[in-house]
Amino acid sequence: MSASPLLRFDQVSIHLGGREILSPTSFEVARGEFVCIIGPSGCGKTTLLRAAAGFLSPSGGAALRHAKPITGPSREVAFVFQDYGRALLPWRTVAGNISLALEAAGIAADKRPARIAQVLATVGLGEHAAKFPAQLSGGMQQRVQIARCLAQEPELMMMDEPFGALDAMTRESLQDEVSRLVQSTGLTVLFVTHDLEEAIYLSDRVIALRANPTADKPSMAAMLDVKIPRPRDQLLTKEHPEFLRLRRELYGFLGHH
Amino acid sequence: MGWPQLLRPWVFPAALLGLLEVAARWLVPGSDALAPPSQTAMAFGRALMAQGDDSVLQATTFTLTSAALGLMLGAALGLALGIVLGLSRRAAAMGFLSIEVLRPVPSVALIPLAMLVFGFGYRMEVSVVAFATFWPLLILTQAAVRQVEPQLLEVAHALGLSPWARTTQIVLPAMVPRLFIALRLGVSIALVVAVTVEIAANPSGMGYAMMIAQQSLEPDLMLAWLFWIGVVGYGINLATLRLQRAVAQRMGEVNLEAKP
Repeated sequence: MSASPLLRFDQVSIHLGGREILSPTSFEVARGEFVCIIGPSGCGKTTLLRAAAGFLSPSGGAALRHAKPITGPSREVAFVFQDYGRALLPWRTVAGNISLALEAAGIAADKRPARIAQVLATVGLGEHAAKFPAQLSGGMQQRVQIARCLAQEPELMMMDEPFGALDAMTRESLQDEVSRLVQSTGLTVLFVTHDLEEAIYLSDRVIALRANPTADKPSMAAMLDVKIPRPRDQLLTKEHPEFLRLRRELYGFLGHH
Repeated sequence: MGWPQLLRPWVFPAALLGLLEVAARWLVPGSDALAPPSQTAMAFGRALMAQGDDSVLQATTFTLTSAALGLMLGAALGLALGIVLGLSRRAAAMGFLSIEVLRPVPSVALIPLAMLVFGFGYRMEVSVVAFATFWPLLILTQAAVRQVEPQLLEVAHALGLSPWARTTQIVLPAMVPRLFIALRLGVSIALVVAVTVEIAANPSGMGYAMMIAQQSLEPDLMLAWLFWIGVVGYGINLATLRLQRAVAQRMGEVNLEAKP
């Protein structure tokens, strides 16, 4: 494996509609890392994620994957959209939606059913393969989207506030599920959220962005390592002294004064 | 449902027919425009039995075949071009002027030209129907493509679908509810234009049969044809609705209603 980081942002800035959304920002993501990006709404965290996925190109600086400039979406990079309702094909069943990723990857039709069954089992939807998305709850629909991304066999998974629209119970169980998945597959994840506790709970590293960057206050407000042992637990981890310390520290950065 | 409920929708038409019967028999007997429904029914029976070009079966087949072929041709071209114009802003800008100049031409104004080029028969009628159905299909397809959920196109991008797969697997299925609106519009236009062409020029089909009945002063036969054209139109509309429901069911019902 090459020594270069999987993802590298080198002084990346992004202007949209004449406004600076992201001031020059640099960071690296190593293989197998779980990095969360947090910040208030309008701080450019989704924009940063979209640039990393190749949906838009930076106005300045360089966004690199394996030391090569990111020029567009790649099958190596999966993207989980926040709005699962608009990211699944409503006219395809659960299995059909997963199949889309396999079709795109050019996998032969006779090899698809086994792969579909396998990823659906991974996210606990084995029983629901023949249902249409509209027949599933929000949490299950988001699981379908995650399964579709897994079917893609990416090395990097981008998640844009994937649990933002879900209720607290569903969110917590999905957090644990994603943690477990990432641990078992060695997937690298870039995860955007505005939920401080979710960010600390999930990640190895948290990047905090601030809105309306200026010359002396750049977009990146803080970058903190999360050294809380895994596997984590919704109760124990959130009572861990390190968790509380990080929470306190990041709370200030996010502009809750 | 009991008998009274089942009969309720028939009360008004029955009363109307009765009134017409009375009016035609006793108020304006021997009229050149009106015939009592009983006579009309008998004329229809004779037309059903008739052999040759003016038989009901022959004329209906001719009109429906022309309408269907014309619609298929117009819809296929309109759909293909509409998708291209919907997906590419550049193509839309290039095609804009030609479309806006050609679109308002009334399709029946093309009958003389079509007659010169193709003569009487299927080909001229099919060409006029195709011209008439092409435009609404083109415009509605173009609008439908633009209304495809942009995030679905991003999903296609992120998954690395080829442009062809993006069109057939994302854009086309996403358009289906709106395409059915276009199709139902196209079906009714096709029937109207086919009958119009037959009344105005083409010596075949239901429209021509009705014209002949009128010119030979047989109001009962003319009204019989009018009634039959209505029945055929109703049947086609019903069939299109059935098809729409069947497709919606296969596509998970969620697409059943087009979101405005």
